[in-house]
Amino acid sequence: METNARKIRLSKSVVRQKALTAVLLMLFTMLFFDTNFYTGFNLLDLVNSLSIYLILAFGITIVIIAGGIDLSIGGILAISGIIAIKLMVFLPIFLAIAAAVLVGAVIGAINGYLVVYQNSEPLIITLGTGMVLTGFAQQLTDAHPVGPDNLEYMMIANGKLFNVIPNLVLIMLGVFIIFFMILRYTQFGRNCFAIGGDYEVAKYSGISVRRTKTAAFVLCGMAAALGGVMLSSKLNSGSSVYGESSALTVISAVVVGGTSLAGGIGGIPQTALGLLVFGIMENAMNMLGIGAYFQMIIRGAVIVAILCLDSYSRKLKRETV
Amino acid sequence: MQPRVKNMTLLRTGYSKSSLLAKIRENLVVAAIAVLVIVTIVIEPKFLTVANATNIMRQFGPLIMIALGMTFVIIGGFIDLSVSGIISLSAVITLALIDRMGQWPALFLGLSLGVLCGLINSALILGSGAITQAEALFITFGMSVVYGGIALVFTGGATSHMSYIDRDYSLFSAIGTGTVGIFSISFMIFLAVLAILYVFQSKTTVGRSISLTGGNKTAAYLAGIPINRSIVVVYTVSGLMSSLGAIILFSRVTTASPVMGQGYDLNAIMAVVVGGTSLSGGKGSVLRTVLGTLLVILLSNCMNLLGVSVYMQNILKGLILVVVIWLDSKKIK
Repeated sequence: METNARKIRLSKSVVRQKALTAVLLMLFTMLFFDTNFYTGFNLLDLVNSLSIYLILAFGITIVIIAGGIDLSIGGILAISGIIAIKLMVFLPIFLAIAAAVLVGAVIGAINGYLVVYQNSEPLIITLGTGMVLTGFAQQLTDAHPVGPDNLEYMMIANGKLFNVIPNLVLIMLGVFIIFFMILRYTQFGRNCFAIGGDYEVAKYSGISVRRTKTAAFVLCGMAAALGGVMLSSKLNSGSSVYGESSALTVISAVVVGGTSLAGGIGGIPQTALGLLVFGIMENAMNMLGIGAYFQMIIRGAVIVAILCLDSYSRKLKRETV
Repeated sequence: MQPRVKNMTLLRTGYSKSSLLAKIRENLVVAAIAVLVIVTIVIEPKFLTVANATNIMRQFGPLIMIALGMTFVIIGGFIDLSVSGIISLSAVITLALIDRMGQWPALFLGLSLGVLCGLINSALILGSGAITQAEALFITFGMSVVYGGIALVFTGGATSHMSYIDRDYSLFSAIGTGTVGIFSISFMIFLAVLAILYVFQSKTTVGRSISLTGGNKTAAYLAGIPINRSIVVVYTVSGLMSSLGAIILFSRVTTASPVMGQGYDLNAIMAVVVGGTSLSGGKGSVLRTVLGTLLVILLSNCMNLLGVSVYMQNILKGLILVVVIWLDSKKIK
């Protein structure tokens, strides 16, 4: 009986920390292969290539914790890069970027207004706003990629501090710390958890639920816009096709990390782990020479496996209560 | 809470019966279709030609099939994002099978593949005990990536052409371009499928139990309705309809590519929801989906005739989706 209980406890913590388990498992497996995986350059590059997705994911995490969802982040990503590049012609770079992030905040506010104040279904309404944004991005660029005429812009994301640490990683870490602090140590952050956990209870506890949830959407829009600016800087161009399928990819990584779509559970570190699962997996599979199409099958299977495990552990919990 | 119960008709119908405006809002899709058609006829009389009618009927083909299947999933309170993967997979595999087994077995196996994918989806959802729409959303999204990946591995990423097939493929040519009188064959398939699905949804026990499952899973379970059966049925129907849509699609364009299903998932959900089927489950019908799909197709047809750019069309399409959902949320639940 004693061992049985221990087994259950072990399997429970493995289920709960599934993203961490997956990351450790992959890191352990890679020890046995003679590749360049364990080189400083590769590990840094891995984080660098994940940074834009991570910035997006931190924003969406707050919305999901507050009980919403935002599928328009792909559209925001595309349009903010284009706006930054277009504005750079007559504004200094810094102001152009600030304006693009502001546009992201406005779009987030619109999403928040529609979802919170008008009680619209967040999934489908943000799908609609995302479509509108992609359409605007096409209209603005005539569906061609546009490039900035300023070389400095490219250096924002492609430059390196002391020629070692990519700027993008530093920016990502900054966003990580800010969003982590907001969610963990501010009243707003705690209110987000309360709203996602139980909307009605939070409302009757005196939390200004509407304003808080809208603010979560605004933060998400700003993060997506910053991600879009960074992507356009990294690729030195803006296009309406950027971020086409990023929303579902990013959100599924967030969910794999352990942020519950039902709201109220999750956190920024979990999201980082969730994205690391996919980042390490892709990097390792490239190192092992697995074909891109086959990688797709594995990626999908991992999403399904982890989410099914998640649902299954919730089912067990329901049955024991 | 007080103003909500002031008017009992409001509670029963969702709208006050007296006002004409409310009636229009209740039949928003019909109103939108009427406005769109009238405006287009006035500006561009070419809309009323037989050629354009045939054109619209052809465009109906793939999307309506996928949307009809999706209707059942959404009424059942779930969602199916795997349709885009199923479309790609069954298109490339059916086309490849024509050369190996002949056209009729290929058609049969292609449809069976859709059923199989639907069964796998429902097995995963039942096995893991996923009960919310959000859980189903990401499980089926993952499966969509898997199906799409299998299609890519199977073809090596290449597009296969129907004209390279050695054996007889007249059946698929007929599905793609054949006509009987002024009706295209794909349109007649649609009518037959619609009739079957309508009877299935409203006249059979299995069909009606789907709505009850979507309305309130706990209540349905306590009332003795087999909700597990409903889940299996909705995903199987969705898988079958996706592969049927895939066959109609590749027959019309005469090529099958491993990424051809992309975008159909969200477009189908949009057609269903614009038609008036509630995303929260329990309410809706296949006939509403037909109206929703008609609106989506007429939108691009009319705007093409009026010379609106494709980019502007995307903006308008998104705006219409937002407005329809926004008005839908104004209904008193």
